[in-house]
Amino acid sequence: MTDTITEGEFDKVFAKAEELSEYFREIGPKYDTENTFAYPSIEAFKKSGLGALPVPKQYGGLGGDLLATSKVVSELSKGDSAITLAYNMHYIMVGMTMGLMSETQNKYWLGRVADGDIMFGPFSEQRAGFSGLADMKAIPQEGGGWKLYGKKVWGTLCEAADIITTNATITDADGNLPENFEDRVNAESFFIGEFKVDENGQGDGISIVKTWDALGMHATGTQTIVFDGYYVPEDGFICEWRSGAFGVLEWASLMFASIYLGMQSRILEESRAVLSKKTLGAVFGATVAADVKVSGVGHIIDGIGDMASRYELSRRVLYRTCTEVTEGYDDNWPMELRFPYIGLAKTFIADNVMHMSRHAMSMVGGSSFKKGAIFERLYRDSAASMFQPLNADQSRTFIGEHLLAPEELAD
Amino acid sequence: MSTFKDADEVYAYIGKAMEACVTDPKFVEATKDGSLVVLITQTDPAASILVDFPGQKVLTGDAAASAPSTVQLRMSSDNANRFWQGKLNFTLAMAQRKVKLEGKRTTALGLLPLTGPIFDAYKAILAEAGRDDLLID
Repeated sequence: MTDTITEGEFDKVFAKAEELSEYFREIGPKYDTENTFAYPSIEAFKKSGLGALPVPKQYGGLGGDLLATSKVVSELSKGDSAITLAYNMHYIMVGMTMGLMSETQNKYWLGRVADGDIMFGPFSEQRAGFSGLADMKAIPQEGGGWKLYGKKVWGTLCEAADIITTNATITDADGNLPENFEDRVNAESFFIGEFKVDENGQGDGISIVKTWDALGMHATGTQTIVFDGYYVPEDGFICEWRSGAFGVLEWASLMFASIYLGMQSRILEESRAVLSKKTLGAVFGATVAADVKVSGVGHIIDGIGDMASRYELSRRVLYRTCTEVTEGYDDNWPMELRFPYIGLAKTFIADNVMHMSRHAMSMVGGSSFKKGAIFERLYRDSAASMFQPLNADQSRTFIGEHLLAPEELAD
Repeated sequence: MSTFKDADEVYAYIGKAMEACVTDPKFVEATKDGSLVVLITQTDPAASILVDFPGQKVLTGDAAASAPSTVQLRMSSDNANRFWQGKLNFTLAMAQRKVKLEGKRTTALGLLPLTGPIFDAYKAILAEAGRDDLLID
């Protein structure tokens, strides 16, 4: 048995992804309209076994690497972007935790994922999003372990999850956060634990508050998670958060990129389907003719060509980035730029998916603007690509700062 | 004012800790087939230490600075004193440009599992020399 997924094994996995993608495509519009999590997707996702894809074979998983997981995420996203963005959270957190957990933790938690459990990870808080040091407190308990108190505002996939990962700052016994900045960075920690809530979202020291109401990505179920004495035993401590996370954030960045690559593919597909058949008849406007087939109009031809080019370039950027990271070519990048350089795939694809969703509406015409049209849906959902870390502005800041920094140490 | 009087003090404590570690059988076993040769360049006072793990040798001063290395680590001598006692948050120090780490990432990461025993060796050397002023609680 090889350590990583073989081509033959991947073909079977991808066939399952195609099947699940079709199902997501079928149910997606209903949950977008109802603005709720797509509850039937839970059983379908678990039944597919695709949750075990990135789990190494030694823990009972399928051994999928970044590229294999990326291809599956894109295929699912082609079916429905919002439902897939929810399950993308699972892939991100499995990818990140498996690089940071101890052998004992990996055996237990990844073993559960291999058996079908779903993992999520709320990290961002209202004050400063993902960049903010956690205001959420982990208060040490006399018998060992911590109780967590605070609120996380981006709890994507919470309504389907069995396992929670999160970050909180370890305080003194009285719940005081470290006063010194460096001490506070040192105390910010990464935890993993059980996530059990009832049908009303209430659990022991933890609850779901349904706050998700956004422009797009409705079916992600990105609710608020309230921690009010949620207990984490000592073996639920993974590592210091920032030092750990920066080494494994490729799982976040490249999986987000995969979501938007899948959307690019869907936009191209839908645009071709409409524009290859649409007939205008007799027109007197920008074009003047007795009988106009849209597929013969110059800017439409160019537009579809442009979309296909953007998709293909994005695909190559993403696949190549996954490959470079997996095969260690990232060794040749300056260490400080590793994360923003990996993030370039996501920011490049984000720019392209937003361009494509807007351009598709422009080419298809006013009907694409009406509620229920796939194009307005893709336009709304693609706007989410501006936010997940690193966004384009943050990436450029990281890179620019590094390149302009003086040689001298900043002491 | 620096905690170290001069480069000789740096070599007497940090250099000595490195010498103790490179010949330790655990380090030898962990690094013998690798290419981990770390050049530590310190400022205030200026000092250079080359730790050649596969070659099991430590050079200091000009000999260190002119020898080939695969990983380059730059920081002030005060931060080096904190770092080699496990008291410096490396990620934060890098983000704040108080520490510069260059070289191939995977090679540099090979240093991380080794730091714990180096911290212990360094602290033991300081304690043995009665340098409580350099020890950090």
